[in-house]
Amino acid sequence: MPRSQRFLSAKSRSAGKGRGLRVGSDRTLGYALVAPSIAVLLALSIYPLINAVTLSLHVISGGTSRWSLGNFARLFSDQFFLAALGHTLIYSASALTIEFFLGLALAVLLNHRMRGRGFFRAGLLVPMMLPTVVVGVVWRLMLNPNFGAINGTLKRLGVNTASLTWTSSPRLAMLSVIAVDAWQWTPFMFLILLAGLQAIPQEPYEAALVDGSSAWQTFRNVTLPLLKPAILVALLLRTMDLLRVFDQVFILTEGGPGFATETISLYIYRTAFRFSNFGYAAAMSFVLLVITNIISAFYIRVLQVRETG
Amino acid sequence: MRINSESNSSIHGLRSVLLAIFSTTFLVALIISLTGCRRPEQQNGKTLTLAVNSGVEGDALKQAALDYEAQTGVHINIAEFPYTNLFEKELLDLNARTGAYDLIMLDDPWFPRFATQQLMMDLAPLLQSHGAKWPDEDFVPASVALGREPYQFGALYALPYVGNSQLLFYRKDLFAKHNLKEPATWDDVLAAAKTINQQETEGTEDGGKIYGYVMRAAQGNAAVADFMPIFWAFGGEMFDASGRPTVNSAEGIAALKFMLELGKYSPPGYASFNADEVGAHLLQGTAAISINWPAWISSFSDPAKSKVIGKMEFTTMPGAKNPGRAEIGNWLIAIPRDAKNKDAAFDFLLWATSAEQMKRSALRGNPPTRRSLFIDAELVAKFPAYPAQLRSLETSKPRPRTPFWNEIENAFGIYLSKANSGELSAEEAMNQANAEIAKILEREK
Repeated sequence: MPRSQRFLSAKSRSAGKGRGLRVGSDRTLGYALVAPSIAVLLALSIYPLINAVTLSLHVISGGTSRWSLGNFARLFSDQFFLAALGHTLIYSASALTIEFFLGLALAVLLNHRMRGRGFFRAGLLVPMMLPTVVVGVVWRLMLNPNFGAINGTLKRLGVNTASLTWTSSPRLAMLSVIAVDAWQWTPFMFLILLAGLQAIPQEPYEAALVDGSSAWQTFRNVTLPLLKPAILVALLLRTMDLLRVFDQVFILTEGGPGFATETISLYIYRTAFRFSNFGYAAAMSFVLLVITNIISAFYIRVLQVRETG
Repeated sequence: MRINSESNSSIHGLRSVLLAIFSTTFLVALIISLTGCRRPEQQNGKTLTLAVNSGVEGDALKQAALDYEAQTGVHINIAEFPYTNLFEKELLDLNARTGAYDLIMLDDPWFPRFATQQLMMDLAPLLQSHGAKWPDEDFVPASVALGREPYQFGALYALPYVGNSQLLFYRKDLFAKHNLKEPATWDDVLAAAKTINQQETEGTEDGGKIYGYVMRAAQGNAAVADFMPIFWAFGGEMFDASGRPTVNSAEGIAALKFMLELGKYSPPGYASFNADEVGAHLLQGTAAISINWPAWISSFSDPAKSKVIGKMEFTTMPGAKNPGRAEIGNWLIAIPRDAKNKDAAFDFLLWATSAEQMKRSALRGNPPTRRSLFIDAELVAKFPAYPAQLRSLETSKPRPRTPFWNEIENAFGIYLSKANSGELSAEEAMNQANAEIAKILEREK
């Protein structure tokens, strides 16, 4: 039994002794106090969840709605769904890798004492503070092949920008949206990893120094293991966000050109609100939920810091 | 012990305070939620709630509602939503039978969906009880036909309020300079686009290139809207008589090949262009020809936005194998089946679509749906493209009338965009689009 649980049960046992009447009214008060939050949770989380399950298990045809596994069966033959799923995984994996390594490098760099550290730390957080919609609109303008700042600058530097159509090119569109995501969310990785670095005590470093380990060895054997909890949190939060990415892609490309950058959330949105097929949208949302859970469980298993007993 | 009992009593005191707070909060919440359910406005039956889109069309109806309120004393609530949310909002509310709206504005491609689900009032009984002869002869038939289900001949569920249809926009100064005549066919358009594209490499004010043509080929509505007039002119049809999709017919593939040919004279990246990019190219004078909607016309004479003041001309769609036909895009007004004040709503509907009121809406920037207004001297003086707009509207064609249009248009648009971005050939795109549309229809059967 974990320590906390043992502690609680011991407490309740002792409270039970000789004060039988009190227990009842303690309980009543306890229930009364948590009741509002339970009610809110039931109304806003549990009920919609059950409703969504029911919805995903219904198919409407000819004006009548009936129980069916049709929505889930359709997933496997829907090439739009499979393509959107593929795009989401590519997007998430690439953005996560870039953001993690860049964020880690920046965190390590700005963890050292250096001139202008405060300025850089504050400046780095700006993209993260901006609303995603604003970031999307600004980048959409900058990436415009004809009027945009990026091609304008490149042209001045003598680069031939004729084929650099960024969000309009099937080859570059995915790259463009990933780059924008990395621009906005690397600071988030940086922030959490920096906090993690600062929580590491000095002693292990001193020990490593005494043992004569190189900078790389220190990083590999001291910093990384001790940073694991922060890495876990950062990767977990970012992955969940990336898998359900919607706003920046919606504004930058709306999933285009063609279907090149359509992510699963966009396709779910379209299915529900443009095509009014809520059952199928709910089914797709469940697949996304399951995938997110599997990936999260995997992280926790791999990166969990085992308590040394 | 003493200390103990004291702390016990203080815990007891705390408990009763908390319980008191909790029960009061609960009671207050209960009272608020109960009183919230009562809507005081319903009592006199003189309140109407309108769902409108936020944009120039909705603004005109909002203004009209204020005038109506001042004239009749009927109180009007306006629920305003952006275009993309309006459809989902209305569909959800009408399906849930909340009766939240007495009148709804809807874009005509949504109409079949609302009509097949029987979410709107049949206007015939209301017309009869009001002794009104409506819609009168003045309405453009192509516009009134949109509000009937089945199309053109069925029962009337909605009246047309704003009468848009596509026009061909072109630079008359460049056409005159290169001795080009007003394009009557798509081949004329292609030839003109090619000439301007080759000759005007330093044609803009700051010595930049002028592209021969510009179009929207972003997936979804944009690509489909810019393709349909070409598709129809080349003899393409979305469906055959039995309702099977036929976009990959020889005519359909030829039309897409022609669109890709026009794309060679369009600015790079047009495969993701939407209305904004096309508008920017025309206003900046960096493109010469385009299909567009009348809402853009007024911005060409605005010195703050336009570098082409007095240089644009507007005409009807060019033809090819078939005469040119524009896509129609009308805003309709309907009364939901569960509206709370149907009679009052109907009075307002008749009033708002009368010639007098529609003229005021036209002056606020919305093309009318009445012939008399398209030739009204005051309006033509203000909107010189009205005669061309009337010709375009009268010969216009609706998007295929199916309740699943949103989904079909989305799929079709994806393949059109893929062809324009070079991902697929014209044949591949049309074959795959056809298969996908067939799948949608099969599923929804």
